[in-house]
Amino acid sequence: MKRTNSVVRQSALNRIGLGLVVISLCGAFIRLGFWQLDRAADLKELQKPYVEQPVIPLTDVAAPSLNLSDSAINRIVTFSGRYVAQFDAPGQSDKSGVIKTWLVGLLEVNGGGAILVVRSADQTSAANEIPKGEVEVQGRLLVRQFEDRAEKKSDQLSRLDPSLLLGMYDLPVFDGYVVAQSERVDGKALTLARVQVDPAKPSVPGYYWQHISYVVIWWLMALVVLFLPFYSRKRKSESRGEGELV
Amino acid sequence: MNGVIKRYRVMALAAGVMSLLLWFVELPVVYLLDNPDLAGKVKWIPFVHGYVYAFYVLAAIHFTARARFTIKRMILFILAGTLPVASFIAERRVMREFPLK
Repeated sequence: MKRTNSVVRQSALNRIGLGLVVISLCGAFIRLGFWQLDRAADLKELQKPYVEQPVIPLTDVAAPSLNLSDSAINRIVTFSGRYVAQFDAPGQSDKSGVIKTWLVGLLEVNGGGAILVVRSADQTSAANEIPKGEVEVQGRLLVRQFEDRAEKKSDQLSRLDPSLLLGMYDLPVFDGYVVAQSERVDGKALTLARVQVDPAKPSVPGYYWQHISYVVIWWLMALVVLFLPFYSRKRKSESRGEGELV
Repeated sequence: MNGVIKRYRVMALAAGVMSLLLWFVELPVVYLLDNPDLAGKVKWIPFVHGYVYAFYVLAAIHFTARARFTIKRMILFILAGTLPVASFIAERRVMREFPLK
């Protein structure tokens, strides 16, 4: 009798274990399907033209030493402060695909922190000179670059990435960089040929119908996982029936 | 049973061909070559592969259930569609075990 009870208990435990495995796998596959569905929706969203949002102070959408949020990328921001350094950033491409060396300033923002500002693509003396005094900047905030465009040298930036400046300056830096549309020095507008860039497009790898096909596969897998225990039971009962017949 | 085997064979061959195209054409073009034009020309491969694999899974389940295979074998047949040559091997084994009448 005791042995029968332990067999029954063991069988119940096996069933509960199997049930948990099936539910976990099924949940994981359904979740993966929703993940692919979200990626397909993101891709569709990216195909829509970018809608410009109102100009906003930099410190309202970003803070030093923090990663840029998705909502901050591409915003036209304003801020003021003083330039503390200027670098060349070779191999940079504008919206027309023209590759030039950009002049990039490091501006100490009033209120704390520093940010990289793409000032111009012209190597004129006016642009090369770092503005003295209080500078008000308006420009588009973009996500930092991840791939080098040029060799690493002390006086140039191989890519527009504030992490390259860590250790060089004793300032916390804002993530990303700003492509200046206008600069005012002590209230006077500075006329420089500005770099024209398109709003950044976050990239989702793959294609819409590809993600939808993966949704189909993941949810099909969830159905397969649900079906397998029934298949196993049917197979066992058929084998038992054949045994009885024999 | 003949119809089930034929359907499985067709889907195994189609899934195998699509896996080969995905692994050895689409993925290298997209991730190794910096050529957006060429990448645009092969963009049909991943999603056709996705749908073909979904139908392959259905055909594999139908066939393995009718052949009364074990669950382990059924899962192996389902997974065979994900690797470039595994579905060809599975198809050959099916032909050896279940020659068409």
